[in-house]
Amino acid sequence: MNIDEIFDYTSFTIDREPHIVLDKDVCAGCDQRGCVNCCPARCYTWSEAEGKMTFVHDGCLECGTCYVVCQRNAFSRWNYPRGGYGVAYRMT
Amino acid sequence: MARAGLDVALIERGTFPGEKNMFGGLLHRMTSIEEVFPDFWSRAPLERHIAKKGTTFMTGEASFNVQHETVNFDRTPYNGYTVFRPRFDRWLAEEAVSAGATLLNRSTVEDVVIRNGKIAGVTIAGRKGEISAPVIVAADGVLSFTAKKAGLRKPQFSPDQMAVGVKALFDMPKEVIDDRFGLVRNQGFANEYVGCTGGVRGGGFLYTNYDTISVGIVVHISSLRDSGKTPYDLLNDFLAQPQFTKLLRGGRLQEYSAHVIPEGGYAMIPELYGDGILVAGDAAALCNATGVNLEGINLASHSGILAARTIIDAHERKDFSRSTLKRYKERLDLSWVMQDLKGFKNAPKMLHIERIYNEYPELVCSMMEHIYRIDGTPKTSIPKLMLREAREKVGLKNVLSDLFTAWRAL
Repeated sequence: MNIDEIFDYTSFTIDREPHIVLDKDVCAGCDQRGCVNCCPARCYTWSEAEGKMTFVHDGCLECGTCYVVCQRNAFSRWNYPRGGYGVAYRMT
Repeated sequence: MARAGLDVALIERGTFPGEKNMFGGLLHRMTSIEEVFPDFWSRAPLERHIAKKGTTFMTGEASFNVQHETVNFDRTPYNGYTVFRPRFDRWLAEEAVSAGATLLNRSTVEDVVIRNGKIAGVTIAGRKGEISAPVIVAADGVLSFTAKKAGLRKPQFSPDQMAVGVKALFDMPKEVIDDRFGLVRNQGFANEYVGCTGGVRGGGFLYTNYDTISVGIVVHISSLRDSGKTPYDLLNDFLAQPQFTKLLRGGRLQEYSAHVIPEGGYAMIPELYGDGILVAGDAAALCNATGVNLEGINLASHSGILAARTIIDAHERKDFSRSTLKRYKERLDLSWVMQDLKGFKNAPKMLHIERIYNEYPELVCSMMEHIYRIDGTPKTSIPKLMLREAREKVGLKNVLSDLFTAWRAL
């Protein structure tokens, strides 16, 4: 199986407003960054060259892994999406 | 509660109940729900009932299977089922609505309303006003921001006490599933795997639905973090294991999903009640992961029923203070839910033994290969072989200490 395709099989209603917002200064000073490898939806990308964390909320599965793994409280916001938005499972 | 004539609101953040809910796929028998619906199995939208269970010790090349099947699990009341949460939860909510509850879809709880030091309702994100209630049940899942805002759970979770599950759903004709897994009618098969997670603490699963198969892995978040591996690559490796991949032949991927599971057991249970609030299900960390049975949904439903009974009593007394609502915890303590969680309180410690996830599956598979292999050399006696393999792969001291831990845990 081509693992890149797996993410295309989940449905979303994407909100323009992100439900998770990072304080990127905290991420820049973090030496663990477990969010990058633990997130099941590949939402977190760390650029070593720029020393910068990027988070994209579009494909977020709202699983909570990043909320648990981050021990530096890097979230200036971590909410579930507004009602009706976000991941929409059909048959899980 | 609705049947008892109480005014009940169900607050759901999805467009319908179940849209946001992900689990492995195994709905264990829920005796408390059977009390509400005595004909549960003919009424609920179920996929298959679990008649056959198995455990597989797996390495990259080999696997050793243990299976159990009995006609007793092929009769009502069934021991467990596979279900799709978007269908099952929607049905359950519709039953609540028929009993008189009000269902509020597309509503994410933003905050709790506190008046005179008591919880007095909730507010909804993006909406004005509030929903007032003398008591709320925080059944908002593993992260329970409601319990946090009410000051009932610790502000930070430990990655040591949490696991993440990822799942892929494959479609497959019913007849193929029946033939491949040795099933007839609506019989289902549930198999757990150990040794399939690249050394990360965790395991895999395969559950048969009516005409789909759920496969996935569950790994401890702290162990995943330290490994530097990703859950989807681990899942991919599991699916590509030679014996496993045969089971999926012809299946087409339908959906990918993920969720966090509270696996800290008894030690991580938060405060369960406050003035005007009760905490139930995953929000209360009511999960019992012993490595043998992975239970959560049955504990959750039972806690929900006990919360409802407590609230009905409180409603009669017109008193929703801590002193009345603490009866919920007393009921839980007396029930099998807390007795199981207390009885297996050492299980999380056992599941932190790293050797379970690499060395032991290697040991089992290599021993079986030696026993079965015929290659023109003299055979070693089985006890001698066991000792030699255990000494080489794990170390005898470790085996004894692990056996002791497992004995205490189970």
